[in-house]
Parts: sequence; C-alpha cells; structure tokens
Amino acid sequence: MNRLSITYRTLLLLWGIPGLFSSVKAASGLEAVWNSIADSQPAEAKAELRQVELIDARERALAGVVVALTRLPLTGDRLRELDLVLADLTLEVDDLSARALYLRARLHQVHSTPANYARAGELYRELAQRHPASHWAQLGLVKLGLISLYALPEPADPAARLAAAAALLGAITEPALRRDLQMQIGWAGLFYNRPLDEVLPHLIAAERTGGLFALIPEDLVLQIGELSLRAGQYKQARTYFDRFLREYPVSLRRYNVQQRMLELVRREKEGGS
Amino acid sequence: MKLPRIQPWIAGLAALALWVALAAWVHLQIAGPPRARAVTIRLAHWQNEVGPADGLNDVIKRYEELNPHVRVKQMVIPPSIYRQWLRTNFVGENSADIVEYGAWLQGMSDIPVRYFAPITAQLQEPNPYNRGTSLEGVPWLKTFSDELLEQRLNSPEPGQYYAVTQARGSFRLFSNRQLLREVTGSDRVPTTLIELRAVAERLSAYGQARQRPIALFAGSKDTATLLMGMYLMGTTSRLVPELDRDGLLSLSAPHVLGGYLQGKWDFQRPAMLAGLTLVGEFSAQMKPGFQQLSRDEAMREFLHGDALFIFAQSGAARTLHDQASFDVDALRAPQPTRDDPVVGPYILGPFADGNDMTSFGFYLNKRSPLKAEAIDFMRFLASQEGNALFSAQSGWPPSIRGVPMSPEVAAFVSPADGYMLGISYFSAGGNSRDLLPRNLYRLTGPQGSPAKLAAALDEQMPEAARADLAALTRDAWLATLPQDARIAALGGLVHARPDQPAHGLARERLEAAQNQSEARALMFARQLQSAGTNGRER
Repeated sequence: MNRLSITYRTLLLLWGIPGLFSSVKAASGLEAVWNSIADSQPAEAKAELRQVELIDARERALAGVVVALTRLPLTGDRLRELDLVLADLTLEVDDLSARALYLRARLHQVHSTPANYARAGELYRELAQRHPASHWAQLGLVKLGLISLYALPEPADPAARLAAAAALLGAITEPALRRDLQMQIGWAGLFYNRPLDEVLPHLIAAERTGGLFALIPEDLVLQIGELSLRAGQYKQARTYFDRFLREYPVSLRRYNVQQRMLELVRREKEGGS
Repeated sequence: MKLPRIQPWIAGLAALALWVALAAWVHLQIAGPPRARAVTIRLAHWQNEVGPADGLNDVIKRYEELNPHVRVKQMVIPPSIYRQWLRTNFVGENSADIVEYGAWLQGMSDIPVRYFAPITAQLQEPNPYNRGTSLEGVPWLKTFSDELLEQRLNSPEPGQYYAVTQARGSFRLFSNRQLLREVTGSDRVPTTLIELRAVAERLSAYGQARQRPIALFAGSKDTATLLMGMYLMGTTSRLVPELDRDGLLSLSAPHVLGGYLQGKWDFQRPAMLAGLTLVGEFSAQMKPGFQQLSRDEAMREFLHGDALFIFAQSGAARTLHDQASFDVDALRAPQPTRDDPVVGPYILGPFADGNDMTSFGFYLNKRSPLKAEAIDFMRFLASQEGNALFSAQSGWPPSIRGVPMSPEVAAFVSPADGYMLGISYFSAGGNSRDLLPRNLYRLTGPQGSPAKLAAALDEQMPEAARADLAALTRDAWLATLPQDARIAALGGLVHARPDQPAHGLARERLEAAQNQSEARALMFARQLQSAGTNGRER
C-alpha cells in the first residue's frame, strides 16, 4: 500500500507539474489581458480573460468592458449594457471607480452615435469632483477641454469656448496632460482667428513643457517663430527660427524658414521691435 | 513461466526516465541545437521594376555569407494585388517576417498597429553592422539621412518607429540626350520654364521638318498627374501664405479644403487661372488621348524616341537607363522665373522638385517566429554596407548617410533649394483628386479654355471638398476610437506594475496621440458644420 502510494504520488507529481505552471499563469492572467489589449490583440485578450481565475469580480467586470471596447463599433444595446456595468462599478470610492467613470464618459462622447457631449461633459466633471487626484480625472479634464473648444453647444462664442477650456488648466497638475490641453487651446485660437497675442502664450507654454512626439515639436517651433513674426515680435521670431534651423537639420521646410529669416531681417531694418 | 516481479519504485523511476528522454527528444526535434540548422526568413515587397529586387538580392547574398545559419527569401508581389495579399496573409497568420508597407495604401491604416512590431528601442542603439565605418557608435535612427521623417509623419503611434527605409526619391525630367542635342544644337538643358518653351518650339519645327511629330513629354494619366500637380502648386505659391492660417509655412489637406469652403480661394483667382493655363500648355505637349494611357505606355513612347522627355519619379531611372538605346539624363524640373509671362507674378520663388525624405520602408511582422533574425537582417539591410549594395545595384539613392553615390544616382537627390509647399490643391483627398483629370477636356478640347475649366472646377469643388473633409474627420475618429481600450489597458498595467516605468511612458504617449487625433476630429467636424460652400449653391 505504501509502495503503491509512492508510485501514485510520483505520477501525481509528474502530472501536476504543468498544473503548477498554469496556476502561476492564472495569477498573472489579468496582466496578460492588459498586455494583449495594449498590443492590439483583441482575440487573445478575450480568450485570456476567460481563463483568468481568482480575481475580484469588479476587476473582472471592468476588464470585460475594456475587452468589449476592442471590438468596435458597439451597438446601442451593447453600449447601454456596458454603461450599466460601469455605473455599478462607480459606486465605490477607489481607483477602479475612477477608471469606470472615465470609461462611462468615453462611451457617451466617442462610442455613442450620435455623441452625447453634454452627458460626457457631466461625467468628466463628476469624475474631477469625486477623484480630483486620479490620473483618470486629469485625463477627463483634457477631454472636457477639447469638447468645450469644439463640440459642446454652450458657450457658443469662440472667445468664451477658449476661456472655458483655459479655466480647466488650473485643475490639471500632470504636466503632460496640461501641455496637451494648452497646445490644443492655442490651435483652437488659430482656428477661431483669435488675436496672435492671445494664442502664442499657449503654444509657447506647451512647447516649453516638451515631451512631444512625431512632427509636433518641429511644427511648434516653426509655428511660434512664424506667428511671432506676423505679430511683430521679431526678437521672439528670431529665437524660434534660429532654434528651428539648429535643431531640425533635415527638415523639408528649411528653405522656407531661411526665406522667412530674410523677411525678418528686412522688417527689423525697417525698425520693428 | 513466471516473470520476475518488478518493484513499483523501479517501475516509477523507469517511467520517469522514459518521460525525461521523450521530452528531451521532442524538444530537440522542435528546437534543434542552437544555430545547428538554417532558418529562413521571408521579405515581401511590391517593387517589381528593374533594380530594387536585384539590389536586395545582392544584400541577401552578402548577409547569408556573414550569417550562414540564416536564409532570406525575397518575395516580389505584384503591386496590383499587394494590399489584398498583405491583408490575407496577415489574417491567415502566414505573412512574411519583413514586409514593405506605405501609409498611403488605401484602406490599410489599421495594419501597422495590428500586425507590425515597433522597433523604436532598436533604433536608439548603434547598428552593429556599421562597426568600422563612419557610423560606428551612432544610434541607428541617426544614420538615416532624414532620421526617418516619414515615420514621424505617419506613425500610427506618434513617437514610435515601425520601419527602416532603403532609398530616397524625387521627381525628374528624364531626357533623351541625343535627341535634345539634335533639336537644340547644344548640350544645354532647360532650367527654366521659358527655356523649356523654347525647346518645345524647336522640337515642333524639328518634327515638322522630318514629318515625324515628337512630343515634348511622354504622356499618360500617371505622368501627367505628377507633372501637373507639382507645377500647379509651385506656380501658385504666392497663395500659400494666404491660406497658411497656422503659420506652418506649408499647406495641409484641411487648410486646402477648409480654406476653399470658407471662400479663401477658388479657381477664378488669377494665380489659379495662370496655373491652369500652364497645365494647358503641358497638355498640348503630350500626345492626344494621353489620359487613357498608363505609365508603361508613356515609358515606351519615350524609349521609342517619340517623346523628348518623360516626367517620372527617380525610381524609374534604372528601367529607362537599361532599356533605352540612347543616353538618358535626369534633369531638375525647369523652374518658373519672376519674368515668366504666364505664372511669373504668382510665384514666391523656386519650388522643391523632390525632397530628402527616405522611403521604401520595411516593417517587422509582430507575429514572426524569427523576430531576432529578422531584426538582424533589417540591421544589415539598413547599414552602410547593405544600403551601398542595394543602391549600387538598384540605382536608387541610398537612405543611409555616408553611402557613396555615383554621379547618376546623386543627380536624384534634390538639395534644399526650393519652397516645400505641402499638399497640392488636387491631393487633399480622393474626391478633389479626381476633379482635374475628369474635367481636363474643358481646357484642352476644341472650345476649351482655363476659364471654362476653372468654372467647372468651382462648380464641383464644394461637394468634393466637403466629402474629403468628412473623410478626414472619419479618419481622425478611426485613429481615436481604438485607443480608449489600449489606454485603459495600459492604465491596468500601470496599476498592477507601478515598478515598471515603461508602462507609464507608453500610456503617456498614447494619451498624447489620442488627444491629438481627437482634437483634430472635433476641429474638422466643427469646420464642416461652419464651412460654407464658397458662395456657391449646393
């Protein structure tokens, strides 16, 4: 009996080794789900979520909503279903609640057809009020700023739209997010043909924060130089044009900037500032 | 006969030994001893003209000498089916390890994020294949002559790099040297529009004298579109500062389309009418019916000596040189001058006839089982040695700094000596792009004139501009929507692994990219709401 039991135990151990690995996998399962979604692999994420065991029900519900958001577009019924799940998750006061509230606002703003900007705006405000220190609230304020600039029915006047968005900057403490909104306020100012003296400070502040990607850093330096030239702020124009020529040696617009530098010299000689 | 009784623990040990032996055998069968057998990586692209495939063959041959355990298979897929081929193979998980892709391929904008692996980290490190060269120790990204500008412009995730490039491109007027000499009596090439018109006059007289008409330009829909698009933009360049609301010193599609709908420009503007007059001059210098012809037919016209010039991208050079029975020169595009009788008053100065942006980009398949080998080959491909081999055999200008160029190849690199004006009036979208070819007969027909063409364009442009602006809005939303799930997932990772700053950085970048796309989508939608019809009835 004893010998049999040793054999039995040995076989069990051999059988059980792969099982040990699979429980390790289960423990780190949600991370695998997040990795697959971040990696744009929705099918894998869905399958991985099914395999995850031993996680909190709220975590699972939130992950289910995020997995659903990888399979767009969503039908009206599905959206309502997800909205209810998220609403349930926002009842607590924790990070998960903030994430759920942010996603609720996103459902109304970008995933519903037509978009319900007013409702999204309310949810972003609620998020900022309930979780002011949360990253999701900060990001929500940027989104609120964007819809204030272009989409919310009120205020309708462009200057008031810009003012409404600028008023949110004080509550955004994360530099990268503050930079994003500030840059968009500057660009919206150009879109609405606001005076350059009103636009330039926003663009300069965004550019100073740095950390921008792709072509935006090059665009911003050039843009501040050119808009400064147009605004008669020649010293500032020279500073930014010089920087452009120094920092972007392979830009396709070098010739254009060199020609604008000649124009700047001409205007300076005429006695500008 | 009674068999001896086997102790259970001996049976257990024997079973364990057998299990371990079987496992080891299976493992060796699957994986093989490291580097013991050759692996094959596949490289797919659509460049089926003379040159590129030969250039890549030379690169592959040398790479296989240096890395005997790796074989590289080149797959040249016809351009006409490339998009379908690519998508089908990715969906079927049978795609090549390294593939060519271009952001301009229609209906394929989801491909990079879904199927390509970013190579940003590798590009920050020196390329080991540049050891012993002037680029030793230089981060790989900095070894490209344009530091991968196209990736900065079009990357699906701003800040991430997905491709390495092989070549640079420009527009050139390819010339039949002997014929030009016969016609003009000298080797002097036209550098201005006025000089080009003089050549056209002499060519007409030359053809009449021999009763054999020769066209100034080989004609086809493709070559004419390139030629007219570039000149129409270049010869109306004084309009650009007027439309450049944002101070970017060049135009983008929303500026062109939105500006039109707001009445900031139309085709009745004197600059536009002058540009269209020039387009008419060019059309008259191509054989009748050129719009029905393809680029290959234009090439044949030029190679038969029935046209003095062909306007084409520099990639066509090798085919022209190989197949022509005469010497072919690549000329810079003749520039308008201030004293030009047609377009002189409307130009800022010379315009760019090419740029230093590198192209022919190769991407890494995210699901390749041989990623390490594929990256290693990409490193060689875009090293000084690899790129030199490619350039020498293909005749395409190299993308890597310090690669020597023959004078013929160097002639395709345009110095920065002209205005880069951005997107042309007919390239801002699919609907507006069709307008000029569809209406060109109103200019070139028997009763045609620039004014008639302009009137027709202005009648059709409001609808086309609105449709193109709506498409831009849709594209911006498409870039925005899928990022919500990814941002939430990265948030989950940040929450679960606060010790890994890479997740936080990835989230910050993605949020910045989404904020940017979202703001664009909202701005375009607002522009569509508020845009008029340029004073015309809808």
